[in-house]
Amino acid sequence: MRVASQVTKGSLSGVFNARSIAIVGASPRPGRLGNQIVRNAKAMDFDGQIYPVNPTQTTIEGLKCYKNILDIPGRLDLVVLIVGADECVHIVREIARRWDEKGDVAGIVVVSAGFSEGGSAKGLAKEKAMLEPLQARGIRVIGPNCLGIADQYSGVNTTFDLPPYLKGGVSVVSQSGAFAASFLMWAKDLELFGLSKFLTVGNMADVDMDEVVEFLGEDENTKVIAVYMEGIRQGRRFIEVASKVSQTKPIVVFKSGRTAFGSGAVRSHTGAVAGNDKIYDGAFRQAGIIRAATVAEFYHTICALSKQPLPRGKRICVLTGIGGPGTICIDALLATGVVEMACLSDHTKTHLKEILAHTAAVDEPQGYVDMTASVTEELHEEVIKTVLADEGVDGLIYLITPPAFFSDEKLVEHILKAYNSFSKEKRKPLLNVFTFGSHVAELRRLFERGGIPTLEFPDVAASVMANMVWHSEWRKSRLDYGL
Amino acid sequence: MDYKKFVKNVLKTGRSHLLEPEAYHVCGEFGIACPQFRLVANVEEGINAAKSIGFPVVIKVVSSQIIHKTDAGGVVTGIQSGEQFKNAYETMLKNVRNKVPGAEINGVIVQKSMPQGVEVAVGGLRDSQFGPVVMFGAGGILIEVLQDVSFRLAQLDREEALRQIKETKIYKILQGVRQNQPCDIEALADLIIHTGKLLEEIPEIYELDFNPVLAYPDQCLAVDARVILVS
Repeated sequence: MRVASQVTKGSLSGVFNARSIAIVGASPRPGRLGNQIVRNAKAMDFDGQIYPVNPTQTTIEGLKCYKNILDIPGRLDLVVLIVGADECVHIVREIARRWDEKGDVAGIVVVSAGFSEGGSAKGLAKEKAMLEPLQARGIRVIGPNCLGIADQYSGVNTTFDLPPYLKGGVSVVSQSGAFAASFLMWAKDLELFGLSKFLTVGNMADVDMDEVVEFLGEDENTKVIAVYMEGIRQGRRFIEVASKVSQTKPIVVFKSGRTAFGSGAVRSHTGAVAGNDKIYDGAFRQAGIIRAATVAEFYHTICALSKQPLPRGKRICVLTGIGGPGTICIDALLATGVVEMACLSDHTKTHLKEILAHTAAVDEPQGYVDMTASVTEELHEEVIKTVLADEGVDGLIYLITPPAFFSDEKLVEHILKAYNSFSKEKRKPLLNVFTFGSHVAELRRLFERGGIPTLEFPDVAASVMANMVWHSEWRKSRLDYGL
Repeated sequence: MDYKKFVKNVLKTGRSHLLEPEAYHVCGEFGIACPQFRLVANVEEGINAAKSIGFPVVIKVVSSQIIHKTDAGGVVTGIQSGEQFKNAYETMLKNVRNKVPGAEINGVIVQKSMPQGVEVAVGGLRDSQFGPVVMFGAGGILIEVLQDVSFRLAQLDREEALRQIKETKIYKILQGVRQNQPCDIEALADLIIHTGKLLEEIPEIYELDFNPVLAYPDQCLAVDARVILVS
């Protein structure tokens, strides 16, 4: 038997890189949660072992079914629990026994609810009883009351509503399973981003937000960290972790539960105006965390950061063939107070005037180019190349309602050619706004596959660009001070 | 003065805030400046103090039962002479006794009346999740109406304090609007940093604010200080 006196917490890597997964509460009946989890786990590009556990079955979804955790042969890395809270308490004792004998299980994901989330003393006691034997052995617990985890690179998936997903650089950490799943499913058809790791923390009985963010900071497949939070337990530690991670990877947060005023019992002015939300606001800014004000801004900021480089400065050019949305975009850009309009050089202005229709507006107003409708797919290449090459431009927002006579393939080809004509170090962020939304779905997918983010709304594009500029400026200020 | 011991002793007496002169002394240890003042026990002492500080002066009641001095009628500003001083002093104490019957009066502060400056507020509190945090914003009565404030976790460096100041709307006014000279923003950043240190070093402090702080082209001064202790 192993001695559990010197316990070190296991790393989350053991959970995400599990090579064998037991699903306790697996069901043979389609439409049941316990069935869907087995199906999703199987559907992944996962070459490890999946062990359904159910004492009344012999096979589930074509996989051999086990009566209990102890019967599973070989090494077992991860256990998913979808049984009732009382049964969870019982099963963790078996897991503990298994650990004492074989020392394998690295972590468990508790999908089941009925613990501390309701605030009842009973639920709290169950959570404690479930946690105790696991923590004593350093076995990590995700949840309870959560959707679980998924990793597109290792092929682990313990969720019931996430099918296999496009691989990419975005990792999602969420206190709401529904919010996180919505983000993924919203982006799926248009391929707006690719996923690395996904984790919903549930009641955070053991694994907390700060630990996950720290782990993702070191995960080589993660380029951007998306966080949905309602509240955190160790605010200061979260901020300390985030300020380190933000220096190399952007963290984008959507924080709900904004409250205008704190408790009425406070006696100082500071206390009266503090409110919880303003402190979160200040702490996020201090740590370089991008706080999105709206859900659309949250989604698209993450998508853009996963595909595009950070701007090196704050001067943004708006290029369009459509006056109205172009103006909306400028208004929104300037309202952020973070960006400035680009300073196009004389050379750029002269050249654009030469190649564009005489009715085109070049640098009127500053940093704005309206090509008008008299523009071809080919001409886009020269215009975008010229604008991106200008030293006075740090980023570009391109807006268009693609005319029916344009060829999708040709437009994509020429814009990508212009974009890719710059070496990686010289690339500047380019956001495309297609105000026709999913009516031009195929065109958008082509751009997305080419690494250019596409958006529907001009004002959202402005906030996304402003977020990128803000984060980039934060990073520069940290570097200046040698932090 | 050992300020840590001093704060502990105040708590032992059952009082959960520092009196204004006490607050100035403790904050002074951290480099936080206030206008010249004296604590006096009667009119004669007061007039002498006013003469040595120089008119005009402000007088403020000091009482362990009163935190909101203005609401209690315990502040008179713009006193120009000894004669005005005598009337103001007596009227103020009478008002305080009417509004807060039975309040124990520990004395009266006589403080130099300061010329107009930009009114800002600097404060701090201990948050249950974030620990010591500092606040900066538009001061005076504007703080409650506009809530033009921004927060940071203490302790913070100068760069961060400057970023905090720049997030507020009052920053535009501090930079100098129309004919007004720009204020000493660096001094305000120092005040924020010092406030953070105060919270860090004296764990008994639960909330504090300096409101208003008057910002001038060459300095900034806390003209009121409120320090609430963990009770």
